[in-house]
Amino acid sequence: MIAGHFGFAAAIKSFERQTPLWALMLACVWLDVVFVPLFLAHIETIRSAPGTDGGYGTTIIYADYTHSLCGALAIAIVFGAIAAIWWSRRTGFVLAAIVFSHWLLDLLVHRADMPILPGNVGNLPRLGFGLWRYPVAAAAVEAALVLVGAFLYWRAAQATVSSENPSLRRRANLSAFLVLVFGIAVLVLDFTRILG
Amino acid sequence: MAFVLAVFLSVVVIGVIDAGLPWPNPKSAKVGP
Repeated sequence: MIAGHFGFAAAIKSFERQTPLWALMLACVWLDVVFVPLFLAHIETIRSAPGTDGGYGTTIIYADYTHSLCGALAIAIVFGAIAAIWWSRRTGFVLAAIVFSHWLLDLLVHRADMPILPGNVGNLPRLGFGLWRYPVAAAAVEAALVLVGAFLYWRAAQATVSSENPSLRRRANLSAFLVLVFGIAVLVLDFTRILG
Repeated sequence: MAFVLAVFLSVVVIGVIDAGLPWPNPKSAKVGP
C-alpha cells in the first residue's frame, strides 16, 4: 500500500495547509523508506504467502523493526522531532502522526505479520487484519484514498489561490491532477508488478 | 527498485509543483486552514 498512503497525505494537506505536501508524502511512506536499507541488509525480509504467486498483497513482510508497533512509534517521534526543529512544533506533531498513520493503514491490509515490539521480542501475537487476502478489495480501498485525497487537495489548493491569478489556478489544478494520476499510476504499478 | 524510483520521482514532481502554491508558511504555528 503506497498509493493509499499518498492519497491519505493529500487529504491531510487539505486540513494542515502549512505542512509541505512533499513532507507529508515522505512522512506517510517513511517506515517503508527506513525498511529499504534493512531489507537490503537482510535484516527485514519479504516472503510470498503459501499458495500465492508473489503478486500484489500476497507477501508476508517481516519488517520486525520498522513495522513493529513500538518501532513505528519511535521512528515517528524522531521524524517529528526533526521536523519540529526545522519548521514548527505543530508541523512536527502533524508529521509524526502521519509517519505513524502508515502503521495504522498497513494494519488494515497486512496479513498478521506486524509485531508489537521491535524484533518481535517476547513472541507476542503479530497484528494485521489481512485485507490483502482480497487484493481487489484492498486495491479499491487504495484507489478510494487516492480519489478522495486528490479531490480534497484540489479543493484546498483552489482556496489558496486568488481567482484573479490564472497562472496559480492552473498550477493548483495541475498539482491536484498529478496527485491523482501519480497515485493511480503507483497503484497500477503495485497491483500489476510491471516493474517488479 | 524501479518501483521505488517511480515512487520517489512522483514525490519530487508533485512536491516541486505544490511548493509553488501560496500555502501558509510551515514555520508559522497558525492552526487550521
